[in-house]
Amino acid sequence: MDTKLRKVLALLLVFALVTVFAIGCAAEEEEPVDDGVEAPVSDVKAAMVTDVGGLGDKTFNDGTYEGLKRAERELGVEIRAIESSEIADYEPNIDQLANAGFDVIFTVGFLMTDTTIKKAPDYPDVAFGGIDQFFEEPPDNAVGLLFNEHEGAYLAGVVAGLGTLDQDLDDRINDDNVIAFIGGMDIPPVEKFEAGFIAGARSVNPDVEVVALYAGTFEDQAKGKELALSAIDQGADIVFAAAGLTGLGSITACQERGALFIGVDVDQYFSVPGSGDVMLTSAMKSLEVAVFETIKSVVDGTFVGGQNRFFGLADDGVGLAPFHEFEDAVSQEIRDAVEEARQNVLDGTVTVPPTRAEL
Amino acid sequence: MLAEIFTPDLFASAIRMATPLALAAIGGTICERSGVVNIALEGMMLFGAFMGVVGAMFLGSAWAGVLVAIMSGMALGLIHAFASITLRTDQVVSGTAINILSLGLTGFLMEVIFGHPGTTDPVARLKPVFDISGPTEGALGTAWRWFDAIVLSYTPIVYFAIVVAIVGQWALFNTRWGLRLRSLGEHPRAADTVGISVVRGRYSAVIVSGALGGLAGANLTLEQVGSFTEGMTNARGFIALAANIFGRWTPAGSYGASLLFGFADALQIKLQLFRDVIRIPSQFFLMLPYVLTVIVLAGAVGRAVAPAAIGKPYEKG
Repeated sequence: MDTKLRKVLALLLVFALVTVFAIGCAAEEEEPVDDGVEAPVSDVKAAMVTDVGGLGDKTFNDGTYEGLKRAERELGVEIRAIESSEIADYEPNIDQLANAGFDVIFTVGFLMTDTTIKKAPDYPDVAFGGIDQFFEEPPDNAVGLLFNEHEGAYLAGVVAGLGTLDQDLDDRINDDNVIAFIGGMDIPPVEKFEAGFIAGARSVNPDVEVVALYAGTFEDQAKGKELALSAIDQGADIVFAAAGLTGLGSITACQERGALFIGVDVDQYFSVPGSGDVMLTSAMKSLEVAVFETIKSVVDGTFVGGQNRFFGLADDGVGLAPFHEFEDAVSQEIRDAVEEARQNVLDGTVTVPPTRAEL
Repeated sequence: MLAEIFTPDLFASAIRMATPLALAAIGGTICERSGVVNIALEGMMLFGAFMGVVGAMFLGSAWAGVLVAIMSGMALGLIHAFASITLRTDQVVSGTAINILSLGLTGFLMEVIFGHPGTTDPVARLKPVFDISGPTEGALGTAWRWFDAIVLSYTPIVYFAIVVAIVGQWALFNTRWGLRLRSLGEHPRAADTVGISVVRGRYSAVIVSGALGGLAGANLTLEQVGSFTEGMTNARGFIALAANIFGRWTPAGSYGASLLFGFADALQIKLQLFRDVIRIPSQFFLMLPYVLTVIVLAGAVGRAVAPAAIGKPYEKG
């Protein structure tokens, strides 16, 4: 083959790769839905930068996007989501959106905390919402949107702590007083789930052993499966995973080895097809509410930056999903205990620890 | 505590986790023995994992999905071969491009085929080969439990990987094919002068490595979890590359090294169970397999000798 033809072919190949790659990472563009109703119109533009899990994680990136979509529907704002395929994408993605004239930008995930602090002062006219981000010194135009995940997980812990003793709940409940927690990365929002879950389980079942395992990643299903298999091998019959996509593998493990599963962030009974036979409940956090309210405050001109906002049980920021297929099997004793725990948290009789150290 | 760590499941877990590494590593061995560097194993595995799910979904059978996964890996192998053998591109650049291509392409095709990003819909998985019930009581029951977990509990590709390692090892050093393959990587000029086609030999080696990479991906999606998640290979392709080097560019060595990494990973999971006893942060356990990779490579590279002509495009005449 002569050199010229080779060069042309090489160029073509490069072109093809670049094109496909560019398409592959292109931003989400949602077609506006025409439902016949006169849609409200606003000139506010709202956007989000996902963390590396990306849209479709069925947990917090998708939850944030739900909030954006609700704002589009109800407030008529223009929305956009840009995905980060690696941590190095965070900054350019924020720059891109700010320069494109977006008025409010959500940066999703604890891992983006430093990037938000660094970038917010560069764009003083843009409102930033940091999902799962606690700002020690919040920039004037940024608000940290945090959830009391431990309060929702506490209720899940109550269910699991009593459930593992109750063989009438399901024939997959064994004699061992062991339950399991599977975490993605060992970072504060995940640790809050773990601490709350353990505290909840111990509050109703002081002798329960909680096996806690971390995958070190939110994307590795096979790892999530091995972790859950190991926990089940250890005697666990109820597995709670706060691990993003990694947790999907844990669901498979529960189905294979006969254990029950508790989902996270959203009601995973709906977001994970075919998981109903093991999905006892989910510890939800309502990102939609936090995101929608922040956008609404920008639209109304009442946005106040420079603070951290916490969404907990009291304002439905976190909560427990329905039992779905286990609705008939869950005993009144468990329901009463959950209700009591909810009241105790709401009226302050119980303070749920957000870290392992405070357990 | 030791009895709780060293359970039959620990060893079964190690073999399960070693399988995708081993298949990709043996693919790397065959490719690199022919003189072509293959850092595209990660991309081949990822693309095979995705296409396996797509194949299983549209053809209605997990086995058909496995075939699609193998063919998809071969297609990427063909691209790598064309770029690095015919076009004589830098092989590392070509491999990197394929990894990036695979990441973008699987994300893009997921949108096109499944209509949403993240994770595909679940598909049927391959079942374990054996389903035999044995004694449950007494010492015999314990022995059976170990035997069942460590020997009989696996899905087909797990056993196939062991066969590939044994047959590959024998063929590489005892057959005409193996001799020719090694000659391509050691001294392609000499192979050429005795009438062996360097181009054809290298092409087939790269494509075979693609097939094994794709099969490794099929093991992840069609045997282990039953759906595809973006980026789910999680750098296994690069660990496989390290296993190939640590295994000194031999199929059996690659399998052995993969087993070591799989065991390290399984062991760190078990050690996490005793976080309260050992009182070490979970991150320490999570890094064990990677630390092992670094130690092993640092210790082994001095003695392991790569094929002499590796990474050098062959120009006839």
